[in-house]
Order: sequence, then structure tokens, then C-alpha cells
Amino acid sequence: MKKTSITLLLSLFLFTITAFSLQEKKEPSPTFEQPLLITSAGQSAEVQLASVLAKRASLDFKLSKLANPADLENIKTLVLVLGLSMKGLGAAGLDLAKEKERISTLIKEAEKKKIPILFLHLGGEARRGQLSDELITSFLPYGKMVIVVKSGNKDKLFNRICNENNIPLIEVEKTIDALVPFKGAFK
Amino acid sequence: MRNEGIKFLKRISLLILVSLFLSLSFSCRPREIEVPEPPSDRHQPFNFIGKRGMVVAAHPLAAQAGLEMLKKGGNAIDAAVTTAFALNASEPFASGIGGGGFMVIYLASEKRVTVINFREKAPSNASPEMFMDEGKTREDWRRTHGLAVAVPGALAGWNYALSKYGTKKLAEVMERAIEIAEKGFVVSKTFSTINKDEYEKLLMNGGEESCYLNEGFPFEPGDIFQNENLARTLKLIAANGIHEFYKGEIARKIVTAVKEKGGMITSEDLESYGPTEQAPLNGTYKDYRIFTNVPPGSGGLLIIQLLNILENWPIKKWGHNSQTYIHHFSEALRFVFADRGRYLGDPEFISIPMDKLTSKEYASQIVSKISPDRPLDFYPYGKFDESEDKKDNTTHLCVVDEEGNIVSLTQTINHFFGSGIIPEDTGFLLNNQMDDFSRDPSSLNAPRPRRRPLSSMGPLIMFKGEKPFLILGSPGGTRIFSSLTQIIINIIEFKMFLDDAIEAPRFFTYSVGGKPRSISLESRVAETIVKALEAMGHEMRIREDYDKYFGGAQGILILHGKKIIYGGADSRRDGFGAGY
Repeated sequence: MKKTSITLLLSLFLFTITAFSLQEKKEPSPTFEQPLLITSAGQSAEVQLASVLAKRASLDFKLSKLANPADLENIKTLVLVLGLSMKGLGAAGLDLAKEKERISTLIKEAEKKKIPILFLHLGGEARRGQLSDELITSFLPYGKMVIVVKSGNKDKLFNRICNENNIPLIEVEKTIDALVPFKGAFK
Repeated sequence: MRNEGIKFLKRISLLILVSLFLSLSFSCRPREIEVPEPPSDRHQPFNFIGKRGMVVAAHPLAAQAGLEMLKKGGNAIDAAVTTAFALNASEPFASGIGGGGFMVIYLASEKRVTVINFREKAPSNASPEMFMDEGKTREDWRRTHGLAVAVPGALAGWNYALSKYGTKKLAEVMERAIEIAEKGFVVSKTFSTINKDEYEKLLMNGGEESCYLNEGFPFEPGDIFQNENLARTLKLIAANGIHEFYKGEIARKIVTAVKEKGGMITSEDLESYGPTEQAPLNGTYKDYRIFTNVPPGSGGLLIIQLLNILENWPIKKWGHNSQTYIHHFSEALRFVFADRGRYLGDPEFISIPMDKLTSKEYASQIVSKISPDRPLDFYPYGKFDESEDKKDNTTHLCVVDEEGNIVSLTQTINHFFGSGIIPEDTGFLLNNQMDDFSRDPSSLNAPRPRRRPLSSMGPLIMFKGEKPFLILGSPGGTRIFSSLTQIIINIIEFKMFLDDAIEAPRFFTYSVGGKPRSISLESRVAETIVKALEAMGHEMRIREDYDKYFGGAQGILILHGKKIIYGGADSRRDGFGAGY
């Protein structure tokens, strides 16, 4: 009886460890194809960070902060950089409703063209809050993979959405640490 | 056995004697104020306490540097300049030797208030059309280009104040800043967020090697930020004086960096820069007198104008952030903005009807136009530039010393991280103050040779009777005078204590071309109030709970009766106080 309980407990422990490592730690097998289009979802400055990551990863990419469906021509992967910046929205002459509409249209076109979406959340805790979360919960379910900087996922919001939608999630300590999984995600 | 008993008694007696000695020695020391630690929730109102002196600034290291100077025997001016230098090292994205500002000084022995204007100046080749390209304004030229840089005034202004009213030498007040730049400090969430927001500009003008980036990426909270180049620059200035900056090697590097980015500052522009000393502008609100800076810093004038209008209404009865209060305040703001665009500029070159704008009669005229139950659809035409709405930068510090001398100092490099241009290996950022000139070439505030652009800064000292009562200031672009007026009203009408008044939810609106813009407010304002204002016809825009868009005010409140000095520092940034 005692032996069985120990075996059960050990199995449960191993299962949990495996499940977590599968979800958060495993390096991605190359899933996405190039060229990629990087655009913002919320007009935060992190879209520029994503382009530096892409440059350092030697990826074939195009950056357009205000991308529209026409920009998806000849694109194999759409990278959406999540994070709301009121300042960024203002500079782009947008409000939240217009930005949500732009992203929705882009996602619809990507789905139509069967272009997979990779989400990045690089702004950490500062890019969380009521308005940023509205974008995250609305659009994250459309992703095929998510890379998030740890401090932006303290409440495990990304885990919850990714679990519900069976999306691989990679959590990194700092922005610079996103380079390896980001590079590794592309063929 | 008996011997052991005696030994035990001896030990007990010794212990009692030591305890008595220790307790007596502690009770004989001058009683120091018990300074409680700030709460872990930084938004919880907290007042720093002092009896002899107080420094409040936008970074703990800077406030501490100022306090150390006071304890070393420096006066308020020495401490203010020490704090200003320390801010260059610890909050480099908001102010520094590449920028400018205004300093309001109260000299206790003379019972006199004076203002030092060290606002940046346009280069001698500036012209009203300098930002026009094929008939359109180039926004990038105004903000991130060499043309965006105005001739810096901070170092000349600090040095002027120190030489005339301070007691310490330039090198002494720079020591702590050099140490902070050399040793570095832990990056806060505020620093990191702003660093990320301005990443594109830093990348564009400094490249991935910029000293304000960490291996090409923004600094994360918890990283250590060091700036050895800035330390070296400050050491050079400490050794050779400010001429090093305006005429020496640093001047040459400034001219080269600006020219490389398409700008027009010359070595003559730098050599000829000088601060000015002026009499303060003053006004009243009920029993209180306000002393503040004069244009081109418009904040002080507009605070007086706003207070003159508000004085006509039963604000206390309406209640804090009530529908009626926000409606009336917003309408007043829209009129004030119309006047700002219509009348204000650099008074060295244009005539400003300051007496009219700050008169009680003129305020009454505005009051009579405001409807109690709906926003107007037109306000007197102004030429206020809408894009100024996007700034939330600058910094403010206040100091009170044991003699009662006071400094209220607001300074900036304009946008966060200024133009993003760093002269070679110097570690300091050049301003993008030219963006404060109007886009309209026919405006009184259009760029012209050696003019100072209009600013919203409004450092102030408020008196109750003959005694200083409140020292206050804030960053926040065009929100500055609205935020400061709200804090003053919170204290005087709503009887809030200093930091409660600073942390209370804020709102802001303005008018452009006579048309009202939406009311922005922090999400802590009750939803019922927001809905009621919408029902009146206001367009509402909800921002974050504690949004640095509304500034980062620092204040000192002096209760003469209790002989206590309170410091309040805004949690919308990294504000901190240090008293003794």
C-alpha cells in the first residue's frame, strides 16, 4: 500500500515537472517560416525591441508599426508585439478602439492567408494593466506561440490563456533572453 | 558560596549602572526626529518630516545628496544645486547640464524672492520656418534632429545661483553627482519604463552602444546603471569651471554632435549664453500670496490666472473631484489655454499683458462666460500646439534650510531623454527644447534668434501672511499648472495634508483653436462622476491609476506653529524626501 502511494506521488511529481517544462522551459522546435512581419499591438516601443532581436537573430523581417492587411503580402509569419502605450497611440493618432480594429483586421487576414502568429510581450510589469490586459485577452488566443518577459506574467495571465488555447508559452527573465527562443522558433 | 553571591551582586550592579549610563546618555542627546520609513506601497500618502531642513526631489539619491549638503553647513542654494547635479546622474532622462529651467529663491534674511531664468535659447540662426519642409512641419526635426537642440542653460544657471547666493564652491556641490555616476545605482521601474518608451529615439541617435542602453536594450528594473562618461565630464567641469562646457572641449563636442545631426548651434551661441535674474511674478488666492517665475515659464502666470478664476466659486461646498468641480475647473482650463496661445512667448522680445492676465477683474469676466451645466463649444481663439499634449517629462526639487532660505527649482531637457543626442563620450543628453516653440511661423512663440521658447514650468513659493507656507513644483508639460493648482486647492479648500494632496487623483483638459478637448483623468475618479460629466457633454479619456502624464510633483509644507517641515514626493515618479 505504502509502496503504491510513493509510486503514485512520484509519478504525479514527475508528471507535473514534465508538464511545466513542456509549457515554459522547452526550447521551441523551429515552427515558423521567414520572412516575418513585425508589428505592434498597442503601439508600445517594444516593437522596436523586437526588430533589434530579429536583426541580431539574422532573420528576414519587415517592421511596420501600423501594419495593415496589404503588408502581409509574401509574409510567412506575423509577429505581434503586445503592450499598450497611450503615448504611442497618441503619436500614431490612434485610440484604443481604432488600434483594436487594426489588429483584428490584420489577424483576420493572417488567418485567411494561413499565416501563423507569434506573440511577444517584452515590456514586463509596466505593460500590464487594465488597458494592456484588454489587448492581451482579446488577441492572445490567436497565437501559435507566445514569448513573455517574466515580470509581465507575475499573475500567470499568459499561462491561463495559453493553457486554455493549447499555445506553447516561453517565459524569459529579461528582454535580451528572448533572443534564443525567438531565433529558435524560425526555420 | 558567599563569594559567588557577592560576584553575582557585583555583576547585577554593573549591569544596572551601564544601563543607567546608556539611558542617560541617550536622553541627553539632542532629540532627533523619528523618521518613519516610507510605506512599501509607494502610492500610499507619506509625508517626510524634518525640523531643520528638507530636500524633496524626483530620486532618493538626489534628495539624500541635498540633505548631506545641508548637514555639511551648505545653505538651501548649495543644497539645491547639489540636488540638481545629483539628478543629472540619478534621473538623467528628465534634466541635466544639457537642459535648462527656472529657480525661485527666497532669501530669509532679506525677506526677498528672486527668480533665476536659465531656460535654453534658440541658436542665432533660428528662424520661424526652420522646421518647415515643402510647406509641412517636420515633427522629427522638432524632436529628434539636431535642429531640435536649443543652447543649454542649466550649468550657467546653477553656477550663477551658487556664486551669488550659495556658500560652497562648484566642485563641492558636484562631488556626490560624480560618485553616483561612477558607482551607479539600481534601475527603478520608472527609469526602465521611460527607457523602453524612448528606446527608438535612443537607438536612432546613440545606436545600440548608447550609454543609456544596456548592451543595446533598455535597462530592466534591478539592473545597475552606471555612467562613467558623465562622471568624467563632471570632473572636467569641477576642475576647470563652467567655461569647459561653454567654451572648452565639451563645447566643441556639443557643436559637433548637433551639426552631425543636422542642427545649427555654433560655438558663439554657447559662449554667449547667460542666465537672467528677474523679479518674481506674484498673485493671491484668498489669504495666500504666491511667488513664481515669469514667462517664458508660463506655469506660474497660468496658476495665478486659474486660482483667480477658482476663487469665485464655492469649491469646498462642491467637494473634491465632484462633477461640478471637475466641470468648472475644466472650463477654466480651456479659457486659460486660449490665453496661453494668444499672448505668451519670450518677454525679452514681445510684450505680454501680464497685469491683465493676472487681474481679478479679468478672471471674473471668464467666470461670467462659463455655463454651470454644459461645456461651451467655443473658447476665445488660441494657437496652442496640440502636440505639446504628449509630454510628461521635466523634474522639480524643493529645499528649505535651517535659516529659512528656500529654493523651488523646475528644470528639464524637454522630452524624456531629450533629443537622444549625446555629445561624444560625454554621457549627458542634449535637450529638444526647440519643440516648445510654436509650429505657427506667425506666432509670438515662433522660433527666432536667441529667443527662449515658452514653457509650462511653474516653480512656486506660497506665503501665508509673512511666512512661507508651501513650496511646490512639478514636471508634466502643459499639465504642470493644472496639476499644481489642483494640489493647492486640495490643501487649502479640501484640507488635505501635503502628500494626500499630491497623490489625489488628477484630471486635465485644454482647448485648441477655441475648441474643447477631452478631459483626461486618472481611473481612480469614480465611474459615476465620469458618466455624469459625459452626460453634460464632455468627452472623457481614462488614463492609468497613477499616471505620470499628470506630472510628478514635489512639495514642502512648513507648519511654523509646530516648527515642523513636511516633504511630499509624487509616487507617479520616484519622488523622495530627506529631512533632518
